[in-house]
Amino acid sequence: MCPSLAFVAIVEKNSVTIAICVAPIRTLTSPLLRLSAASPCGTKSTVFGCLLRSFENRELSVRLRSSSSLDARNSRGRMNCCAQVGAEAGGSAPFLTDHTTLIDSVETFIFDCDGVIWKGDSLIDGVPETLDMLRSMGKRLVFVTNNSTKSRKQYGKKFESLGLSVSAEEIFASSFAAAAYLKSMKFPTDKKVYIIGEAGIQLELKQAGINYIGGPEDGDKRIDLTPGQLMEHDHDVGAVVVGFDRYLNYYKLQYATLCIRENPGCMFIATNCDAVIHLTDAQEWAGGGSMVGAIKGSTKKEPLVVGKPSTFMMDCLASEFNIKTSQICMVGDRLDTDILFGQNGGCATLLVLSGVTTLETLQSSENKIQPDFYTNKISDLLAAKKVTTNA
Amino acid sequence: MHGPISLCHDFESLCTEATASASLLTNPAKLIDSVETFLFDCDGVIWRGDVLIDGVPETVEMLRSKGKRLIFVTNNSTKSRKQYGKKFEMLGLDVTEEEIFSSSFAAAAYLMSINFPSHKKVYVVGESGIQLELKQAGINYLGGPEDGDKRIDLSPGQLMQHDPDVAAVVVGFDRYINYYKLQYATLCIRENPGCMFIATNCDSVAHFTECQEWAGGGCMVGAIKGSTQREPLVVGKPSTFMMDHVTSKFNIKTSQICMVGDRLDTDILFGQNEGCATLLVLSGVTTLETLQSADNKIQPHYYTPTISELLAAKDLANGLHSSLL
Repeated sequence: MCPSLAFVAIVEKNSVTIAICVAPIRTLTSPLLRLSAASPCGTKSTVFGCLLRSFENRELSVRLRSSSSLDARNSRGRMNCCAQVGAEAGGSAPFLTDHTTLIDSVETFIFDCDGVIWKGDSLIDGVPETLDMLRSMGKRLVFVTNNSTKSRKQYGKKFESLGLSVSAEEIFASSFAAAAYLKSMKFPTDKKVYIIGEAGIQLELKQAGINYIGGPEDGDKRIDLTPGQLMEHDHDVGAVVVGFDRYLNYYKLQYATLCIRENPGCMFIATNCDAVIHLTDAQEWAGGGSMVGAIKGSTKKEPLVVGKPSTFMMDCLASEFNIKTSQICMVGDRLDTDILFGQNGGCATLLVLSGVTTLETLQSSENKIQPDFYTNKISDLLAAKKVTTNA
Repeated sequence: MHGPISLCHDFESLCTEATASASLLTNPAKLIDSVETFLFDCDGVIWRGDVLIDGVPETVEMLRSKGKRLIFVTNNSTKSRKQYGKKFEMLGLDVTEEEIFSSSFAAAAYLMSINFPSHKKVYVVGESGIQLELKQAGINYLGGPEDGDKRIDLSPGQLMQHDPDVAAVVVGFDRYINYYKLQYATLCIRENPGCMFIATNCDSVAHFTECQEWAGGGCMVGAIKGSTQREPLVVGKPSTFMMDHVTSKFNIKTSQICMVGDRLDTDILFGQNEGCATLLVLSGVTTLETLQSADNKIQPHYYTPTISELLAAKDLANGLHSSLL
């Protein structure tokens, strides 16, 4: 059993310096550093600090985040001991056996959707009963999805068509996150957004009163690169938003590239960078990470990611519902988005194996992201109901 | 990956120590006399799109008349060497297929060099240049422009089958890129054991037409990197594969080569990686401002507006001869 120690780690590009502040974590009244999330896309971004938390019965687990400010006043000195941290970190997540304790320890459950609630358009077994049980136990339920193809409203209809009672206000899609982000930084009304993505992004931007061009309508446009061909582009485009796009083509890639490279200050925003997703229940499909990767390749710029694991959506819902993140359990099927999202936000984390992650991947030595617990699917939580019924 | 290829996903890490700032080329004769061979990039150096850059034919003739070997190395994989030969011919330049090394050729040459099994196939995200070179090398392939019309609707239950015999995906510039191709390539790389991910090049933009810059091969490669979370093996500049191939074929020392190009992170780095003299021309994607910016870490030995500046050496030689008469 390792002690409950607090560390402050200052991470600079290509090296890690650890400042050891040896004190039991329970005696610290506030974290030494308050950090916002790192994105897996932004591998070149400089990480300024890291907060390590200890867990009962588990070894220290390391969470890396990026921050624009650094407060190291409480550090006692600097030691280069990333090897030690590496060795102490990890230890595979335990299988969830005490469902009641987990449920009782939080107020809110955040669920990812693809691979947790449904696969494509097929509901995963036991989901309706599980959600009902949690609601009956007084838990708040929130649904956070990186899938930007639909708006919150459209997702509400999807839940309804699957027989689940979930309102649009309980849903946070990355399409909504993109619009919310632009609103939050007061995107000028005389500017436009160029969309590489589907109707979900268009609907959310429209809802937010933001002008846009592009989207599915550009899916039929062809580029032949005949001699003398020139593509004009709108100089009022102040942001390019990129999400999953099954109608991707070279016209869109070039248009977005021109806007980002030639319109001064044009932002490059990604709804998410998921490599693959279960867009149909039959198999995994190349995800938003593909479209974002294409624009990274032509602009050599890193996007601002609004979806998981960035904590933007976490901050939105925590603020909207006035909840503490320590009172949340994040449930998801993907380590580098869902679980990292939960960890970045300071939540409890539960991985389900009903989606893209296998037990083998979770327990592989290459995997550095360990949730607090894992289970097969969310209906395993129904065991808590049996306990309370028997009590 | 072993062999002559270097992984080029981080160009900065391949830079040698910071060199002194590049100087404007003022003594072309001295540069020309110091090397045996000139390696020319094509887009932005010889032509822009389908338009020849001023002074190129005369410069090429002058260098040949001085006994210099000329080689043309392009990252543009849309054509095969043969097709490039025809393009040179159409533009009035006397350049043979054997003097041309395109990244389409490099992909096929690489697969041949590792004895790619004859019962295996390549999935092509790219244009006919790659297909023609693979065919020439006797390598089976699928994909390419033919997949440009295929649509994916993601209707419930939709499943994409893929050929389990695909052992390599080759990705280059593709103006007909679509989701079908991205998904097919993704499935092959993720699910066929040992399937290679090969990139002809990672150029972010290129002058595909003379009017402006267009998103380049780096776009298509970036898309597959995003869905597979794997780094490709890059056969084009600045990887030294084509340089090693050229020096081996013509039995030349790299110190006897001057690399002439318009792009710092491919052409100039390519030349520097192998110890060549390097000359940047400003007739393509790089401006003087970019070259001299504090963010730029790649400094060629010299820079000049266009390759026709080398013609000053001809005038000097003529002047010298006439003064000796």
